[in-house]
Amino acid sequence: MARTMTNKSGWIGKVFFLDLLHGLSLTLRYMFARTVTHMYPDHEKWIPYSRHRGHHFIKTNDEGDVNCVACELCSKICPCDCIIVIPFEDAKGNRRPQVFDIDLARCLYCGLCEDACPADAIKLGQEYEISATTTEALVVHLEDLIAAPGKAENGGQVMPAKLITPDKTALKKTGKDTRTHSVTVEGTLKAAEGYDWWQRIRK
Amino acid sequence: MESVIAILPLLIKMAVIVAVLLLLPMPLTWLERKIAGHIQQRPGPMRVGWHGVLQPVADAIKLLTKEDHIPAEADRLLFKIAPIVALVPPFVVFVAIPFGEPVQMFGTEVTLSLSNMNVGLLFILAVSGIGVFGIILAGWASNSKYAVLGSLRSIAQMISYEIPMGFSVIGVVMLAGSMNLFDIVARQDGLWNIVYQPIGFFVFFVAGLAEAQRIPFDLPEAEGDLGAGYHTEYSGIRFSFFMLAEYLVVVVLAILNVILFFGGWQGTPPLVNPILWFFLKVGFFIWVFMWFRFTFPRYRYDQLMTIGWKVLLPLSLVNILVSGFFMF
Repeated sequence: MARTMTNKSGWIGKVFFLDLLHGLSLTLRYMFARTVTHMYPDHEKWIPYSRHRGHHFIKTNDEGDVNCVACELCSKICPCDCIIVIPFEDAKGNRRPQVFDIDLARCLYCGLCEDACPADAIKLGQEYEISATTTEALVVHLEDLIAAPGKAENGGQVMPAKLITPDKTALKKTGKDTRTHSVTVEGTLKAAEGYDWWQRIRK
Repeated sequence: MESVIAILPLLIKMAVIVAVLLLLPMPLTWLERKIAGHIQQRPGPMRVGWHGVLQPVADAIKLLTKEDHIPAEADRLLFKIAPIVALVPPFVVFVAIPFGEPVQMFGTEVTLSLSNMNVGLLFILAVSGIGVFGIILAGWASNSKYAVLGSLRSIAQMISYEIPMGFSVIGVVMLAGSMNLFDIVARQDGLWNIVYQPIGFFVFFVAGLAEAQRIPFDLPEAEGDLGAGYHTEYSGIRFSFFMLAEYLVVVVLAILNVILFFGGWQGTPPLVNPILWFFLKVGFFIWVFMWFRFTFPRYRYDQLMTIGWKVLLPLSLVNILVSGFFMF
């Protein structure tokens, strides 16, 4: 503080506590400035940019089949060996994955599988709320990957959202959590409703 | 029967004051956390009730249901007495504090103070000095090195800052020619004492911060180096007694600042009740104390002593000298 205020560090500055007053005026300004907190998970959620590498998803083609040709390149390039692909021949005579498991607990979200993929099939999407009560629940299968949300087109904003807790009655009936994720925040993905957090905070 | 009627208003006033003082720390903790949050550009407590207004209630329930733990090697009697000894002086101080001019209520004149004593100011300074005993006992009885260090610091700090505090008030007493707080307020009818006694106010304000052990003078409970100082070993309701005492000392200091230097209930703008005006000023000072808390870092121990003995004490003595010259 003293170094940046050399003009005020003379005896006048000392007598009138100019550096202390400077600090007080700063905190006073902040006290009435807008807060920067995301109200997550109560009623806001941050939608990450499209470059964000989150939960994987697998693209499907127009016929409803997965793009994946089960070449196992992703499985081979994966630095932490978290992808298991077992190929089979489907009814149309195409090579497709019978099993496509990703252990999200092992994955380091480097995106190498996305780079290696020759068929534009596996991608890393916008989903980041990957929490579960057991490690087994973090192994996701082919149908989870097809259903997972893709890359965010309107990323980089804060969206109105609401907290959805797992269904307690289903939990009691089956004795285990049927959902992969224990807590999810569902955002309403309309570009007009969000606001750009970076623009709004006071710099 | 007549004596009962005479004593009834006093009892009602006592009940009201005790009830208000016991509940006052609740909104104050909420306010403190809100101010802390907004200074750091966070919203502060938001989950319990509207904007977290019920947060203090949740905190109180938590404190009341916590285990009341006494360390094995502690002096059990002193350990139990200390929070009460710390809590009583801030309550006793309110015996001498006036809140406004006498008002007409139910056909009788009610004075807005428990007692109108001629040495009110002296009484307040003396009683608030006793508060240090609770801290000494707590630190000693805990049988913990952090608690002892905290209470040692606290003793040294309170003793050295009580002297400039007492001297800084003398200027006000000289102006009013009385130690009666009603007289001191009446004296500020035209101009507030802050105009006559700016140095006195400065010394009183800084020494008050140190007396209340607020940041930047909160060395007795410096979290970084002492755990929590003298109340390290306390938990549950006993800990909340210390918190209660701490907040009440802040309220007492805000009230004293207003009465001694900012005209008490004088200078009321039109359409505002004088008593409300008084409490608005008190609230402003409480806000200032909290604002200071989240702006300044803690002073080092030698700096604290230097400020007390080498700056504030000479300043307050000079202040007495100068006001003496101006008065004669």
